[in-house]
Amino acid sequence: MSLRKIALLILIVGFAATVETAWNLQGDVRFGPEGCRVMGGRFYGPSWSYEAAGERAVTAAAPRLEIENAFGGVTVSAGAPGVVKVRLRKVVYQPTEEKARAFADRIELRLTGDDGLVRVGTNREELGRSQETGFETHFEIEAPAASVAELRNEHGRVELRGLAAADVASAFDAVAIERVAGDVKLESRHGDVHVEGIGGTLQLGSRHGRVSVAAVRGAAKLDVQHGDVEARRTGSIEIAMAHGGLTLETVEGDLLVRSQHGDVSGTDVTGGADVESSFGGVRLERVGGELRARVQHGGVTASDVSGGADLETTHDSVTLERVAGPVQAVVEHGGVEARGLAQGARIRASGSSVSLDGFAGPVDVQVERGGARLAPGAAIAAEIAARVTHGDIQLEVPEGSRFDLEAESQRGRVDAPLAGLSADDEGRRGQRASGRHAEGGVSVRLDADGDVTLESRPARSRSDWTVARPRSSAKQAAEAAASPRPAASPAPSATPTPAEAAPPKPEKE
Amino acid sequence: MSRLAFSPEGVTFGACLVALGVLGTLANLDRIELLPILRTYWPLSLVLWGVLELVALWGRRSTQGRS
Repeated sequence: MSLRKIALLILIVGFAATVETAWNLQGDVRFGPEGCRVMGGRFYGPSWSYEAAGERAVTAAAPRLEIENAFGGVTVSAGAPGVVKVRLRKVVYQPTEEKARAFADRIELRLTGDDGLVRVGTNREELGRSQETGFETHFEIEAPAASVAELRNEHGRVELRGLAAADVASAFDAVAIERVAGDVKLESRHGDVHVEGIGGTLQLGSRHGRVSVAAVRGAAKLDVQHGDVEARRTGSIEIAMAHGGLTLETVEGDLLVRSQHGDVSGTDVTGGADVESSFGGVRLERVGGELRARVQHGGVTASDVSGGADLETTHDSVTLERVAGPVQAVVEHGGVEARGLAQGARIRASGSSVSLDGFAGPVDVQVERGGARLAPGAAIAAEIAARVTHGDIQLEVPEGSRFDLEAESQRGRVDAPLAGLSADDEGRRGQRASGRHAEGGVSVRLDADGDVTLESRPARSRSDWTVARPRSSAKQAAEAAASPRPAASPAPSATPTPAEAAPPKPEKE
Repeated sequence: MSRLAFSPEGVTFGACLVALGVLGTLANLDRIELLPILRTYWPLSLVLWGVLELVALWGRRSTQGRS
């Protein structure tokens, strides 16, 4: 037996002995809190629940509310003015109710501060130093609607609604923030996030979890690392994303997206759109301003762009419909298919073909390893230049067009059966054509390796070029007003409860 | 031309390291409890090693038989 085999045998046996020893020790030595296990930031095991309550008067017009919790959910909602009411539910994980009750009696609800500030918390830090008992503290807080809340929670769901402003940090669980009149700042590490009905600005950071944002009146800034994002009816929005898809609906202002891995899809952007993506396609409908997109390993599909479009993509194609402004597109390893370009286009593509259907304005197209099909929507009235390698050029000539033609085919034929144009043979390979059609006018230059074909056809109606404007959030708000939701503020309790006065109610969880 | 020899203990050691790394990661993500799984399944490393030794032995005999 070789030395390597002996060494491996000793290693495996030693490893097994270590595991067995650790297993046996686990039964005698306490790991973690007594009577329960901790996995994923939650306690598991037998538990008992007890309740306490307290309240504190505030006289400031816009009181500050500072809430700190470690394990347990926090719910904050708008209540009666001039008072902050807190209900605390203590969940204690102990093998017996007797032990649980004894420990719960030591958990204190802390309500401190002054006329304009209320701090809500517990004495967890003091208990945690001396005891190893798992317990959760769940808060239900009612505060004046003018309150500004600062909330810090580690493990537990956070719900906040109906306040003036909020600054929330949550580590492990979902967060829901609704109907806040002013600004909202939110940092979430692990958990889904839902934010809706924000009157001011929104600053949101999320590391892991889905993000849903709706009805944000002010500007929004989102930084999301891992998770899909859905944003509806927002003001100007700026989004940085690492991994996840983005879905946008009605942005009242400008859109700025920096995405690394994920598709970007949006409708109704009233301002301009600036999108960069490393891996993933971009699809936008109804953009009110300029569209700028830089996409690697993905395509761009855009329709109804009121401004111009400046696009760069690699490894996929560009598809455009109804663009009011000038288009500039550089596509590596992909083609371009466009309809209804009102102010022409400058296009560089490689690896696939370019098709422009129903355009006006000057067009400058260069294609490598692909053909070009150009079909103006109306009579040719601006310069057209097309140069392709390894492909053909087809140009439709609407009635009423007037132009000077210079066309050349390197290896194929030039077919230009129009009045005033004549083709000359260039030996065995290639052909040139030139002339003035309908007494001449703008310059049309076509140069291809393959065939060059000009074909006369009737002029089309331009009605199908009409660029649809983005639907504003005001219209959508009117639609929402047609189906009103119930009022949010819960009715405050009529009988005030002194702090820690509520008798403990054991409830086996 | 030299040819790398098949080493059952090398493959076993590598496979165990991979398994240990995967299990450790899953445990860190709170998907599994590491200790009970290691305690239950560690003998599989010996099974894997033994099977690979038999395969190697069979391969050597086949080679000698042909020559």
